[in-house]
Amino acid sequence: MLPVIDIKKVHRIYESAAGYTHALKGVSLQVQRGEFLCIMGPSGSGKSTLMNILGCLDTPTSGTFLLEGVDVSQLTDDELAELRATRLGFVFQSFNLLPRATVLRNVMLPLIYSDCPVPEREVRAVKALASVSLPADYYDHRSNELSGGQMQRVAIARALVNDPAVILADEPTGNLDSATGEMVLKTFRRLRDAGKTIVLITHDPEVSEWADRTVHIRDGKLFTDEQERALVAAHPGTRSHT
Amino acid sequence: MKARDLLYETASALDANRGRSLLTILGIVIGIGAVIAMTALISGIKQSLVGDLGLDQARMVEMYLLLDRQTSFDDYNNLVDYMPEYETLTIMAYGSGKATSATKSVDVSVLGVLPNYPDVMGTKLTQGAFITPEDEEAGSLVVLLDQSAVRNLFGNQNESVVGKSVQVGDATYAIIGVVESSASREGGRIYMPYSTCAARITGTWSFDSMSGLAASDVDMSTIEKTTKSKLGAYFGIKEEDVEDSFYVYTMQSMLDELNATMAAFQILMTSVAGISLLVGGIGIMNMMLTNVTERIREIGLRKALGARSSDITKQFLLESVCLCISGGIIGIIFGYLGAYALAGLAGSSITQAISTGETKLVPVIDIRAVAFAAGICILIGAVFGYYPARQAAKLDPVESLHYQ
Ligand SMILES: Nc1ncnc2c1ncn2[C@@H]1O[C@H](COP(=O)(O)OP(=O)(O)OP(=O)(O)O)[C@@H](O)[C@H]1O
Ligand SMILES: [Mg+2]
Repeated sequence: MLPVIDIKKVHRIYESAAGYTHALKGVSLQVQRGEFLCIMGPSGSGKSTLMNILGCLDTPTSGTFLLEGVDVSQLTDDELAELRATRLGFVFQSFNLLPRATVLRNVMLPLIYSDCPVPEREVRAVKALASVSLPADYYDHRSNELSGGQMQRVAIARALVNDPAVILADEPTGNLDSATGEMVLKTFRRLRDAGKTIVLITHDPEVSEWADRTVHIRDGKLFTDEQERALVAAHPGTRSHT
Repeated sequence: MKARDLLYETASALDANRGRSLLTILGIVIGIGAVIAMTALISGIKQSLVGDLGLDQARMVEMYLLLDRQTSFDDYNNLVDYMPEYETLTIMAYGSGKATSATKSVDVSVLGVLPNYPDVMGTKLTQGAFITPEDEEAGSLVVLLDQSAVRNLFGNQNESVVGKSVQVGDATYAIIGVVESSASREGGRIYMPYSTCAARITGTWSFDSMSGLAASDVDMSTIEKTTKSKLGAYFGIKEEDVEDSFYVYTMQSMLDELNATMAAFQILMTSVAGISLLVGGIGIMNMMLTNVTERIREIGLRKALGARSSDITKQFLLESVCLCISGGIIGIIFGYLGAYALAGLAGSSITQAISTGETKLVPVIDIRAVAFAAGICILIGAVFGYYPARQAAKLDPVESLHYQ
């Protein structure tokens, strides 16, 4: 079956006043439909860089990225925007909800960019909110009146609302205590059981246990779980994660 | 992105910044208010001139003869034939005297007029009837009073005076009617047959002013010139002296004169408006730039959720245009309110300065002025909002998402 994500030999070199930073060094990765993948790595290893590329927010310096078989590098800015609107869902560490807008309005936000017919919007938003188990009493609350765990579930609902090919979550539990974090991870797990594809970034090994598969990133390079264990065994001094 | 989504986003963004938005649009309010007040007043003044006199009066022409020689009634009869472009032509003689009723006595101006005088001047009667050709023929001792004269001589301008008599100079006249007076004059005015006036008041048949009603197929823009040259030819005036020998006034020339007087006022108001609009526009731009900076994360989020650069441009552009339009709407309202206030304050003195009438000055709400103001607002919003909107659209999504 066609993988949802297929990247080959992706490099990303940042150019800044301080010089060049080689953040990704030939990363290749495939994610299958319905898979819950965890990308783990220490700070500065290139996780967010990889995530931005997978989310079509950034483009690789070299290498190819096929999203559902489509070569992303061939697309125009507007086509990329359309891809983000319809095929990708983002969950951020800092939630990034519009604070003054209601929960429902926040969840419906991506729909205004995907030309979803107006009458259908609320139906979809309510469905998405139901699948992250947010009680209906909260739908009309302003998002800044919610707890962290509730905010993150609203953010997940927002990522879901367009029924994307893949949900990308960058440290979604980073700002939450472990009990709330667990609730959010359970939500991801349930979505996976419902057939969603999820790519989650973390530096917390406990979080990675919820995933089907974990890959490790270290200094811009990817390793499988086995390679990582061998590496750690060969160099007992290195801690696998910060 | 649908239009209603754009409008919703704009409304909620403006609502969130209500206080700041109100302060920012002040310049636009003042600028548009000035434009509207100015146009409303100027059209009001024109309206009160033209509208009051009626359509016919737009075809009225006044002629003053500044001649060395006396004129005669024959000259009048000849000129009627000589200038067929006038449907009606009439002459007037001006005099003055002391009028005395049974109880009161007052100085009045006396106007010797022909029976066709009302046809030209649009004179309205409140009582009785006008001078007849028989009166003119016989030089009858009949007069009409204007309302001021009735008030001064009989105490109340609505007093029924037809049939009563009044003494002017050394003769006693029967009152046959009352003429509506457009302005309150000192003593009042008395109308009598031209022949009577010539015989008893002025002592001469010579006239130095005529009024005519141009035929409806005559071009009013050229009549001033043709009338002057015809009068010049009739009276045998040298070509180079024609210009100084006659004054010819049409409604058009009065309007032209008015426009010239208004020009200074117009320039003043236009510069006030222009400067406020410029300052207002810069204020809007400043606020929009602040908006963009404050909402960098929101912009990054919107882009991550699938907003195209053009969606972001549209959103911020519409925000600034709506800001300007709301300023414009408030400005239009304040402009008209200001115009009414000014009209009440200065209206009577303005109208008195430019016409004889005591007509009320009513500001005119002109749909074209409103459309023009709205157009200006949209233009300012678009011009001054474009740069901030482009800045917003150009933001890099990754960087703006992590902006603190
Ligand atoms: N815009 C940028 N310009 C220059 N260098 C950058 C930029 N973004 C990231 N980098 C560099 O690229 C490397 C990878 O950064 P990245 O943000 O992907 O790390 P990360 O794994 O997400 O770290 P963390 O766990 O702290 O979020 C780092 O060395 C970082 O300094
Ligand atoms: Mg990161």
